[in-house]
Amino acid sequence: MGAAARWVLVFAGLAILAAGAYMSLAQAGSGGQPWDPELSDNFVFMRVLPFVLGLGAVVGIFRAGGWNGTVRRGDQIRRFSPGTVIGHWIATVGFVLALPTGLWQYLGGILDVHLEFPLYLIYRIHYIGAALILFSVANFAAYWWVNGDRSLLPPRGEWRRHLAGFALELPRSLGTRLATWLRLDLKARPQPQRFTFYETAFSFPTWTFALVLITVTGLLKAMRYIYPIPGPVLYGASTLHVAAMVLLTLKVLDHLRYTLARWPLMVAMARGWITESALRRVLDTTARLGSGPVEPTLPASAPAGVAGGSER
Amino acid sequence: MELLWAAVNVVIAYFFVTNAFVAKTAIKEGLAAQAALLLGGALIAVFAVALARQSLQLLRAPGTAGGLR
Repeated sequence: MGAAARWVLVFAGLAILAAGAYMSLAQAGSGGQPWDPELSDNFVFMRVLPFVLGLGAVVGIFRAGGWNGTVRRGDQIRRFSPGTVIGHWIATVGFVLALPTGLWQYLGGILDVHLEFPLYLIYRIHYIGAALILFSVANFAAYWWVNGDRSLLPPRGEWRRHLAGFALELPRSLGTRLATWLRLDLKARPQPQRFTFYETAFSFPTWTFALVLITVTGLLKAMRYIYPIPGPVLYGASTLHVAAMVLLTLKVLDHLRYTLARWPLMVAMARGWITESALRRVLDTTARLGSGPVEPTLPASAPAGVAGGSER
Repeated sequence: MELLWAAVNVVIAYFFVTNAFVAKTAIKEGLAAQAALLLGGALIAVFAVALARQSLQLLRAPGTAGGLR
């Protein structure tokens, strides 16, 4: 697909979203609807959602069309494309809005505590955050689907190798226990390639699971006023939505802890670029954990592409 | 910022854990919800403390946190 066609696709997505949002907000603000602000917001959210998902998908397709594979400038490797950096920060804003408001809705109900301002404002912020997260989910899903980049997932038949590498990254007692439980061979000491084993075997799969769970259950909860959802399904969705919220709270904390300890990765998510030496240090430090012979990959003379030159 | 985020999460964990033991939760939500609150709160506390430790380590010795600054 040509660059012009991709731009047309994005502008069409934006225009359709703007038109859909305008229609929905105009109807909600007309004064002719009998619903309270909380229910009105719910309807606006559900009506706008297909357009948000559509825009996310076309932005993902747009970005995939410009995917360059390996990009480097001297010692610098482009770890993340500008679209990935922006998409990551949009998702971050979504989490910052949706997680605290979701926690407040849950805890406020349990504690029976009410704030000075109306509850529908909390829900409104939660819906805005959720819309940003759903945009990001559609964006990244379409991007990876179209460009075929699967570097954040262990390749077929490589799960045990990646899990063994992950076990070696854990504190020794925990890693040994995991290896015994999963019958992993830690003696081979596999070497990470573009991403650490923590990222491929643990972090990305659990992010995916938690995001899918919170998306499906959140949609079921939000659509209950426009489509009849059976009581037990709604109860189950509500329970799992809270479970996914706790899981995402843990994921955010763990993600911050992990990347903070590997500062070049944090810088790369802000700038998009990382020096080859810094990336090599991140991967080598990961590989130094544990004991035994090291798999002979990623030597000092390895080309940049091996050390994560392909952006994602 | 990470320290602030960790502190907020410790407060959330406190609410989770303490409310797992109050009678109102038992009456309103049941035993399963109490157990979930306790487990969720404990896990959030552990992960928040781990993040706080990492942040403090970075503040005290910027060059040595994970050796990768």
